[in-house]
Amino acid sequence: MLEAIHLTKRFHQGEIDVVAVDRFSHRFQPGITAVVGPSGSGKTTLLNLLAGFDTPTEGEVRVQDGEKAVVLSKLDEGRRAELRLRLMGFVFQQWNLIPTLTALENVAFPMMLAGHRLKERQERAAALLAQVGLEKRVKHLPNRLSGGEQQRVAIARSLALDPPILFADEPTGNLDSASGERVMELITSQARKGRTVILVTHDLELARRADCVLRLRDGRLVDG
Amino acid sequence: MEVLALVYRNLRARPVRSLLTLLGIVVATASMVLFMSFGEGLRKALGAELSSVGPALLVLPEGVEAFSAGYPELRPEVVERLEALAGELGVTKVIPSAVFVRGGFDPTSSFAFQGLPQGVSPKDLYPNLEGAEGVVTPGKGGAVVGGTIAERNKLGLGKTLRLSPEVSLEVVGVLERAGGIADSVIYVPIEAIHAVLGTKNYTSVLLSIRDDRRAEEVAAAIEARIPGVDAQTAGDVLRFAERAVRISDLVRFGISLVALLVGGLLVANTVMMSVYERIREFGLMRAIGARRRFIFGLVLLEALLLGLVGGLLGLLLGQVASFAVNWYTVREVGLALSSVTPRLAFFALLVALVLGLLAGVLPARTASRIPVVEALGRV
Ligand SMILES: Nc1ncnc2c1ncn2[C@@H]1O[C@H](COP(=O)(O)OP(=O)(O)OP(=O)(O)O)[C@@H](O)[C@H]1O
Ligand SMILES: [Mg+2]
Repeated sequence: MLEAIHLTKRFHQGEIDVVAVDRFSHRFQPGITAVVGPSGSGKTTLLNLLAGFDTPTEGEVRVQDGEKAVVLSKLDEGRRAELRLRLMGFVFQQWNLIPTLTALENVAFPMMLAGHRLKERQERAAALLAQVGLEKRVKHLPNRLSGGEQQRVAIARSLALDPPILFADEPTGNLDSASGERVMELITSQARKGRTVILVTHDLELARRADCVLRLRDGRLVDG
Repeated sequence: MEVLALVYRNLRARPVRSLLTLLGIVVATASMVLFMSFGEGLRKALGAELSSVGPALLVLPEGVEAFSAGYPELRPEVVERLEALAGELGVTKVIPSAVFVRGGFDPTSSFAFQGLPQGVSPKDLYPNLEGAEGVVTPGKGGAVVGGTIAERNKLGLGKTLRLSPEVSLEVVGVLERAGGIADSVIYVPIEAIHAVLGTKNYTSVLLSIRDDRRAEEVAAAIEARIPGVDAQTAGDVLRFAERAVRISDLVRFGISLVALLVGGLLVANTVMMSVYERIREFGLMRAIGARRRFIFGLVLLEALLLGLVGGLLGLLLGQVASFAVNWYTVREVGLALSSVTPRLAFFALLVALVLGLLAGVLPARTASRIPVVEALGRV
C-alpha cells in the first residue's frame, strides 16, 4: 500500500514560489498507475516525494511495511533508505546502472546492501537476468549494453529484493519502439503479479495500458 | 565483494591518475622509511658496539659525552688517583687513552687515531679483534690499523703514517674486520698523540673491574672520590645514546612529514575529483537504498586502498634505498647505517594508512552529504 495525503511541495526560486506538487492525494493500488502530464507539471517531483528522495513541504506519504503502516515522509534519511531498499524498486529513464559493475553485480547490488550472502546473490541475480532475457550478458559492463538491455538490467535489479512497489520514470524514454515494447511487457507482467507500479510518462500511448491514469497539471491532480 | 570491486575498478578506470597518486605516497613513505631507518641503524650499531667493548667503565671529564672525541681534558693526576684506588674498588685494569681525529671532507680522508699506553693492545679494549698481519700491539713508533680502514686506504705493513710534520709512525700490524667502529680506528702509542697535540692529558680512561655486575656501584664510588670526572657504565652510555637517537628520530620524522603531507594532499585531491565525477552514481546508489554511511565507507575505502598499496610499495622502495645506503656506508666506514626493522615497517604502514584515512575523510563526507534528488538530477 502506498498513499499520498495532501502532498505539497513548494520551491523558492528567488522571489517567486513554485508549487511543484499541490495538495496531491491518492491511494495507489496494485497494477499500473500511470502519472501523466505536460513538462513541468510536477511528475518527477511527485515521484521524488513518493519514493522518499525528498520531503514534502506539507502532507505525508504512507507505506505499508509488513503489518504496520509508516509515514515515510516523517522518517529520517537512513530509515527511508532502508524502507526503499526493501519495499521499492526503481527504473529511471537513464543512468540506471553503476558503470563499474557488471550486469550481474548491478542486479546483486541491492541484495548486497541488504546483507545477503554472496552465493545467494549471484544465483538470484543470474536467475533475474535470465528472466529479462539477458542470460548472455551477465558479465557485461553497462557501457557494453544497448539502451534497451540496460533498462532490462535495471528491471531485474528492481526485482532483486522482491519489493511490492515499483517506480518507473520514463523507462522507455530513450528507447526505440521495439526495445521500449520489450521493457513495457516486463513491467506489465510485474504489475499482473500484484506489484504496485507507478509509471511516470508523457507518452499517452503507454498510459493507455495502465489500470489507472493520474493527470497532473501545475502540480494538481485533474479529472478525466 | 561488490564493494571491493567498486573501489578497485574505480581506481583502475583512471589508471594514470591513480598511478601518479600512488607514486606520491610511495615516494613519501619510502623517504620516511629511509630517514627513520638511520635511527634504527644507529641503535643496532650502538648495541653491537657496546657489547664488544671489554672494559666495563669509561671515565670521562665531567660534562663530556661518550663518543665525542674532543681535546683531551683528563689530567695525568686523575689516572694516578684511579690507580691508587684500584685495589680498594676491585679495578683490575686502568687503561688511559687519548684520541685524535684528523677530519676530511669525505670519509676516505678522515682518520681516527687512538693512543694506548705501552703494552696495551686494541684487544684489551675490544676483545673480539684479531690480528691479520704483523703484530697486534703497537710498540714504540708503530701503528696497528683496523681492518676497514686498512682496506679502504691501502694501509699495509711497512707503510708510513704522518700524524703531523714531526710525528710519523710505521704500520706494524693490521687487524681482521670484526664489524664495528673498532675496525675504522688506527691504534698508536699514546706518546704519539701527546706529541701531536702537545699535551699530557687523556681523552678517557677505561677500567676493567673484577665483577661487572658491580659496575654502577664502582662508577658511583669513583665519581664521589675524584672530582671533575664522570664514570659511565655501558648502560649509561646506551641510555644516553638512546635519548639522542630518539631526539634525532623526531627531527627526521619532522622532515619526512613534509613529503607525507604532500602525499596526503595528492590522495585527497584524487579522491575528491573522483567523487565529483561520480555524484550521479552515488545518487543512484542512495535511490536504490544505500545509506549515507555506505557511500562514506566506499569513498574512504578508496583513499585507504591508495594509502595501503602506496605504503607497501613505499616500504619496499625504502628497503631498497636502505640497502643502497648500507652498501656505501659499509664499504666506507664499516657500519650499516640504515636498518628497516619490523617495528619501522609496521610504523610506516600505519602512517600510510592514517594518511589515506585523513585524506579520505573530507571527500567521503562530501560524497555522503549530497541530497539524493540533487545527485540524481546531475547530468
Ligand atoms: N529543485 C527545484 N527548484 C526549483 N524548482 C523546481 C525544482 N524541481 C522542480 N522545480 C519546478 O517544479 C515544477 C515541476 O517540475 P518537475 O520536474 O516535477 O516536472 P515534470 O512533470 O517532471 O517535467 P518533465 O516532464 O519535463 O520531466 C517545474 O516548474 C520545475 O521548474
Ligand atoms: Mg520529469
